[in-house]
Amino acid sequence: MFHLLGQESENHEWGGKAERPTFFDDLNLDQIIDRVTKDWGAEVQRLYYVLPEDPGTEAYRREIYGDVKGEKVFQAMMEFRKSIREWRRCMERGEKVEDDLQKRTWHLRETECYAAALETLRDALLSAKTAGQLNSRGMQEFLELLSGFVTEPEYQKHRQETAALWKELSGFHILLTYEKERFTLVEGKGTGKYEGFLEECFPGHGKIFRSPFLASDDFSSLEAEILKQFRKKHKEFFVRLEKYCQMPKPYVHEELLRLFPEMGYYLSFAQFERKMMERGLTFCTPVRSGAMKPSGNGAEKSGREELSAKGLYDLALALVNADEGKEVVPNDALLLDGEDFFVLTGPNQGGKTTYARSLGQLIYFTKMGLDVPAFAATVPYFRKLWTHFSVEESAQTGRGKLMDELVRLKPMMTEGEEGAFIVINELFTTAANYDANVMGKRVLEFFVNHHCKGIYVTHLSELSRACKTVVSLRAGVDEKGKQNYEIQRSEAQEISGANIQVEKYGLTYRQLKERFS
Amino acid sequence: MNVNLLYSYKEWTPVKPYFDWNAMVKDLGLSSLFRAAGNDAVLRTSKAVYAEKEDTYLSFVMKRVSCVPLETKEEVKYRQDVLDDCIRKEEFTGKLYQLATKTLEAWEALGRRRNSTGIRDTKAELITDLQVLRLLVSGVTEVRKLLLSHAEGFRSEGLRSLCRRVEEEFSEEALLRVEKILGDVSFYTDVAVREVKRNVFHSYYPKIVLDCGLTDGLKLSDFRIESMETLEKPYSKPYGIKAKLQGQMNSLAPNVIALYKDQALQEDAAELEFQTVSYVYECCSNLADSLGHFFDQLRFQMGFYLGAINVKYQLQRCRLEYCFPEVGAQDSLSFGELKEMVMSMEQKGKTVGNDGKLDGKGLVIITGANQGGKSTFLRSIGIAQVMMQCGLMVAAKRYKSGLYPNFFTHFTRREDSAMNSGRLDEELRRMHQIVSNVGERSLLLLNESFATTTEKEGSAIAYDIVRALKEQGVRILTVTHLLSFAQRVYEEANTDTAFLSAEHLSDGTRTFKMIPHAPEQTSFGLELYDEVLGSVKNKDDEAGTDVREMP
Repeated sequence: MFHLLGQESENHEWGGKAERPTFFDDLNLDQIIDRVTKDWGAEVQRLYYVLPEDPGTEAYRREIYGDVKGEKVFQAMMEFRKSIREWRRCMERGEKVEDDLQKRTWHLRETECYAAALETLRDALLSAKTAGQLNSRGMQEFLELLSGFVTEPEYQKHRQETAALWKELSGFHILLTYEKERFTLVEGKGTGKYEGFLEECFPGHGKIFRSPFLASDDFSSLEAEILKQFRKKHKEFFVRLEKYCQMPKPYVHEELLRLFPEMGYYLSFAQFERKMMERGLTFCTPVRSGAMKPSGNGAEKSGREELSAKGLYDLALALVNADEGKEVVPNDALLLDGEDFFVLTGPNQGGKTTYARSLGQLIYFTKMGLDVPAFAATVPYFRKLWTHFSVEESAQTGRGKLMDELVRLKPMMTEGEEGAFIVINELFTTAANYDANVMGKRVLEFFVNHHCKGIYVTHLSELSRACKTVVSLRAGVDEKGKQNYEIQRSEAQEISGANIQVEKYGLTYRQLKERFS
Repeated sequence: MNVNLLYSYKEWTPVKPYFDWNAMVKDLGLSSLFRAAGNDAVLRTSKAVYAEKEDTYLSFVMKRVSCVPLETKEEVKYRQDVLDDCIRKEEFTGKLYQLATKTLEAWEALGRRRNSTGIRDTKAELITDLQVLRLLVSGVTEVRKLLLSHAEGFRSEGLRSLCRRVEEEFSEEALLRVEKILGDVSFYTDVAVREVKRNVFHSYYPKIVLDCGLTDGLKLSDFRIESMETLEKPYSKPYGIKAKLQGQMNSLAPNVIALYKDQALQEDAAELEFQTVSYVYECCSNLADSLGHFFDQLRFQMGFYLGAINVKYQLQRCRLEYCFPEVGAQDSLSFGELKEMVMSMEQKGKTVGNDGKLDGKGLVIITGANQGGKSTFLRSIGIAQVMMQCGLMVAAKRYKSGLYPNFFTHFTRREDSAMNSGRLDEELRRMHQIVSNVGERSLLLLNESFATTTEKEGSAIAYDIVRALKEQGVRILTVTHLLSFAQRVYEEANTDTAFLSAEHLSDGTRTFKMIPHAPEQTSFGLELYDEVLGSVKNKDDEAGTDVREMP
């Protein structure tokens, strides 16, 4: 079975009944994905819950996403989505009406709608392909699938009858004269005289005459009267329509409908990314660095395995800040080949957790085959993504906090720990310092030995020296700020330094010069 | 359609106002200016009669407009020219303003409301909308007539281009077309039965032909109006004998759906009628919106010029000379017989005019004894600057200056009853806000700032701030008692700094004139010292302590 999300095994189903993975809350991905899939429904949302395991899937998706992001394919698929929605609406409306004639007309409309959507999409994708904007294996296969549907002879035949009937129906026009006490009915098309006059008076007014009878799909008294007269004159058409509706051939392609949520997966993110870029956020397509191949005993490394990101930021925070008109501070990350773990220490409120989250998000979006919130990124392949954030003591489990932490740590160390990316935020805060150090070191060593990479946020500075593949990071210290500080001192003595109030408002000479620079 | 009398290229919008307008109004006493603008214009031609009635709208307009500074020489010239025309054609100015006011008031009376959705849900609302449109169309016809009858005499670009645009956009032909549309739907608005002759009654009836399709579930759709008109026909009672006969005839005719006594059909017909008229109105709605906007702006913008005329009369009444100021180079500032308008208007006394030539002086420090007219002088510059920057005349024989869109006042608020430390804090906070907002072309008036702490501390603060701001290119005029500060700046002897002092003659009389003078040490001891040992000083000192720059 063909999947736009990639095929990991025979009869594989994406999404299904998937639930939010635990790292979603920790990385604030729930906020992001809620925003991404706001107009797309639960079915699409669930697709975001499943991380692909096969290393090939990631690349397969990235190719497709690259296509979908492109203007032509994006517009074509959004248009298709709109048409399919319209088709569904027609179907619903057709089911609701009572009148048989109305039912049949709706059926005709619905069939026409579906066929037009299908063909428009096929044509648009074909033209994108000619323009060199359709390069991924997945999208090309998808296009072949569509072409197959459209060229089936049965479909073609049905399609022709649909078009003929639809054309005839669209051709019917009535001229209705209203004179307060009566309506007079004449068949035929008007000359558009008065509309022309209005257009002349107000060029491009673009106003729409709203039909007063669209509140209900059933007939109003006036419409019923009109149809009564109209039917008598067009018996032949209605007989043909009746026959058409009895045709047994199903015209809908189940396989295409099945792919609908998977299209939504790419489209929803592409749409989200476009919107966010308008608001000034940066996204980029991550580059895959050397692969990590699991082999018989343990894992073997091949090629360079650098993890690097420039201008990386916490997307969830950026969303919140963008709503409030604030900006986020982007950061860089670099884990060279042979380096395994970041250990991040520093004062509170220094952005430690945010940094850890942004790294986790980087790995998540990379694994999902989508764009990542950064200016540029190179990411190796990781088999899994694990996070461990300290939580409030839970009354539900009845365990103490330390116990709770260890229990949550266990699956990380026993289920597929090889070659995973680990985000740990403040482990063992309730244990004694010495114990915490020892335990922290063990955890760190365990993951390093199992070829994991990751980040460990802690207040224990000793951990930054736990093993030699660890890179120590510190938040809240800015070299530039340090330099400024030195300049401040020398000048600060010159003026009335005693006046704290002046300093409070940033009005000393030095502060003012800084403010203006 | 834009009025564009305040700016050549845009309508009035309150963007980029002065940073702290309320503080400026308070510091410079500008509310008197606004009040002067609101004085009724009718009485002013007779001499020295004070106005009886106030038009608060004019005051409101003056306050709003003067709060947004003009930024280029051309903008100032544009407004001055229009104002000049308005002064010459005072009657026209009043008429145009009255016309706009009258139209807007009639609109208010009909019930002005902003329907954001653009969907009219009731028949009554639709009828009101149509009536408003009719009102605005007849209003604009009058405006057009008035403007065109004066078109020959205008010299300003503003009024001439307004005439041009009104003539083009509201051409007679276009107005007639709208009137035709309003006539076509008049059956909807004019429902009264009229007696045309004795016992002969007429009423308006519609005749509408609609073109429609049948696509969506065989329901009527894609309505288009083929033709529409309102016919005047003899009135027949809905259930009278005549209507009954007509109804029966209709029901027999082929292709006819009679509405007689069928309530459901009648309701459908009413719906259709409503949507048709609604659609026609929708087509006109942009015009209605733009006319509404036009009248709002016309009233506002003419309100400014009418207010300015009132200000002019007020100046004349107070025997103040006035002129249109000239926009000079950015660092220019010179004036002759500059008077503090507000004080003159409020106290009705004779005020002293000041002359000055402060071109190129980025920093002006004014010192001297109390009650010497220092603050008055500072205010007179502030007021003139504000008036110039909104296109008004100023109370001076001549006034020339650059434009300062970033204009700040920082006056000591003596009325603040907080404790001293709190007051300094408050002063510093205001200064902090000002510093955060200075930019290109900034002007800062400091009046006895930082006098709320010790002389030494205050001087240090003032020195630092003034120095940093000056280096940033901010033009500063300061009245100060902080002598160490003034002295320190004086010793630096920069050529772009001027020192003024309130003149007081040797016999102790205060002339209220500002003269170039070194920072004044008013202590008795020094005067005594000079008196006794003055001749001991060497000549270099003399030159240094006296006049540094001739104005």
